[in-house]
Amino acid sequence: MKLALTELRRRPGRFATATVILTLIAVLLMFLGGLLDGLIANSTGALRAQQADVVVYSDTAQASFVRSRIEPDVRSSVESVDGVTEVGGLGNVQLGARVPGNGPRDLASTVLFGYELPPEGLPEAPPMGQAYADDTLEADGVEVGMTILLGPARSPIEVIGFVSDTNFAGQSSLWASDATWRSVLSENRPDARLAEGVFQALVVRGEAAGDVPLAAAIDDATGGATDSYTVDAAIEAIPGVSEQTTTFNQIIGVTVAIALVVIALFFALLTVERTGLYGVLKALGAKSSTLFAGLVAQAVVVTAIAAGVAGALVIVLDLIIPPGSIPLLVTPARLVTSVVLLLVAAVVGCAFSLRRVLRVDPASAIGTTS
Amino acid sequence: MVAASMFLALKEMARAKVRFALLVAAIALLVFLILFQQSLQNGLITGFIGAIRDQNAPVLVYSVDGQRVVQGSVITPDLEQLVRDAPGVDEVGRIGQGTFTGLPSGNDDGETFDTTLLGYEIGPDGDGVGAPSTVLDGRLPTADGEAVVSDADVRLGYGIGEVVTLLPGGKQITVVGVARDVQLNVAPTLFVSYDTYLDAVQSVNPDAGEPLPNVLGVVPADGVSDAEVVESVNAQSLELDALTREDAAAETPGVAQVQQSFNIIFLLYGLVVPCVTGLFFLIITFQKANSLTLLRAIGAPAGRLVSSLLIQVVIIIGAGLALGTLLYYPVSQQNLGGIALRFEAGAVVFWSVLLILLGVASSLLAARRVLQIDPIEATTGQGVGT
Repeated sequence: MKLALTELRRRPGRFATATVILTLIAVLLMFLGGLLDGLIANSTGALRAQQADVVVYSDTAQASFVRSRIEPDVRSSVESVDGVTEVGGLGNVQLGARVPGNGPRDLASTVLFGYELPPEGLPEAPPMGQAYADDTLEADGVEVGMTILLGPARSPIEVIGFVSDTNFAGQSSLWASDATWRSVLSENRPDARLAEGVFQALVVRGEAAGDVPLAAAIDDATGGATDSYTVDAAIEAIPGVSEQTTTFNQIIGVTVAIALVVIALFFALLTVERTGLYGVLKALGAKSSTLFAGLVAQAVVVTAIAAGVAGALVIVLDLIIPPGSIPLLVTPARLVTSVVLLLVAAVVGCAFSLRRVLRVDPASAIGTTS
Repeated sequence: MVAASMFLALKEMARAKVRFALLVAAIALLVFLILFQQSLQNGLITGFIGAIRDQNAPVLVYSVDGQRVVQGSVITPDLEQLVRDAPGVDEVGRIGQGTFTGLPSGNDDGETFDTTLLGYEIGPDGDGVGAPSTVLDGRLPTADGEAVVSDADVRLGYGIGEVVTLLPGGKQITVVGVARDVQLNVAPTLFVSYDTYLDAVQSVNPDAGEPLPNVLGVVPADGVSDAEVVESVNAQSLELDALTREDAAAETPGVAQVQQSFNIIFLLYGLVVPCVTGLFFLIITFQKANSLTLLRAIGAPAGRLVSSLLIQVVIIIGAGLALGTLLYYPVSQQNLGGIALRFEAGAVVFWSVLLILLGVASSLLAARRVLQIDPIEATTGQGVGT
């Protein structure tokens, strides 16, 4: 092990090219992961923030807010389900926002939510005409106390505070009372207008009274008029979320496989080059396991250095990418996961050289080199 | 000389199958990923904005509030009149768009899908401003309750003659034609008459007021270019946002981000291939330095050894490209979460040429090393293993 690390220290040039390639692969891995996290976070924040157990849509809505309508009688049925403790209406409308000081064609993309049960980080719904804004709107110049104008009807909304990580469908969210939302919806989207008491969805707090899960109990109680999900399932059901996750994870998996092949290739070549040296070391009493451990140690160090450099590069990339362009989200969890995956690939890749190390015959090796 | 170089190259590869096979595997995986992602990018963009790119209105007019999203845009009567009065405008057609839950009769499993309806003002033959550009099969809708679908949706049960029921409300639409690449928002898309669209909105939401058009399709007058009409319409009001068809497609929110993200990914993958190839051949050149010195000493010209190296590079990358393309072909025939993938022959050719050039360039370091070998070292013992 010591010999392997000394070689790394004394002859770093020998490992430089492999480190550069692994750095590129690590950047790819972290960038892909960051892209996935950014896309998902930007699409699902509003649902993740819900302090609820179940989200209820109408049966044909396919978990889409704009296509869902929950009538007051359906809401009553939901409220009467055993185990349900609180029910709140929820609805949204996506509109462009005119921000004071910005150009007349420079609008911010927003989604206005009307809520009854406060999501995480929010107090009770504010009075008519006021809203809390997601802090991503600060990049568009929105400030507390500012009145922004929503949609073609220029509906005025005063921003009274900020909240974090609540975006939805890639748009910055605004959180208002159901009355504010209903009024803005009606003014700007007459084709989507909803009557008093009708909501797009319900958020439900409570727990199952019997063996039947709460979501299923609600759908039973409404006679199939609703389509209910746990919050996690509702997030998964957002169109595109599961497809994006699956596709990106497959690409990440193949990229890890490439890292594995590159490491295997590099250390197989290195092992071939050192066959004579290994023969001498074995003749001096070194065990195959010791030699292989040295190889693994080198692979781990090279990979760790590559991953460290890549992590720094991805963080820099995250800082220089302007807000609103590439949806990159770099999180410690993603960086750590990528490093662990690469280290596993490094160890597995090295294993391809194990057979070659075991096969080294001390006698023939000494014979060749002497 | 070529025959001798080829013999040398192939013999060496035959004797070290595993290491060359590993390199081929690495390149094949990289090629597969690049091509797969190229298909994914093109499929995603086509599914996302195909209905804008492949409809017949040369200019589309959004409201500024719509931020270049069809469904987000609303054209008020005042704005519509301004567009109609703009100099250089010949024909104007209303276009409305909504997303509904559709149950196609052709789906054996009775599945429902997010279904986009695009309503345009149809003429007697079904044509009109905003109609699909290329009908592959069947015909355009000539009456209310008829639709043309995108070719990618047929496999979901939206074939000609099938009836799509919109839920709730039960509004029924019959498919009468199939057009090429006219999806919007990566969902099954039906081009219908404007009145069918209005009926559909009412059927699913009885509380709804009459929707205003989302977008206006504009045909320029004779002798007026698309760009001139765009300028003319935009000059009418700060609330109008006219774009040529191509710009409307390219500037739909999300399209540029998708392209930027994929370009970074392609750049990184494109860099990895020559790096891996260059590293591999540099290392094996170091390893066989003694044999190469001996070969030089017994009269092998340096050019022959370099040719042998380059032949190996081309064979290895060629094999990687072939294997990667073979892996890519069946995947490119699939649909991925509603995205219709396609075999991108152009991408295969582009990446093949680029990767071979980059691979050969990266192996020049190894070739330089070969050229530096001095045959005299074979007699001193410095360059040959004893």
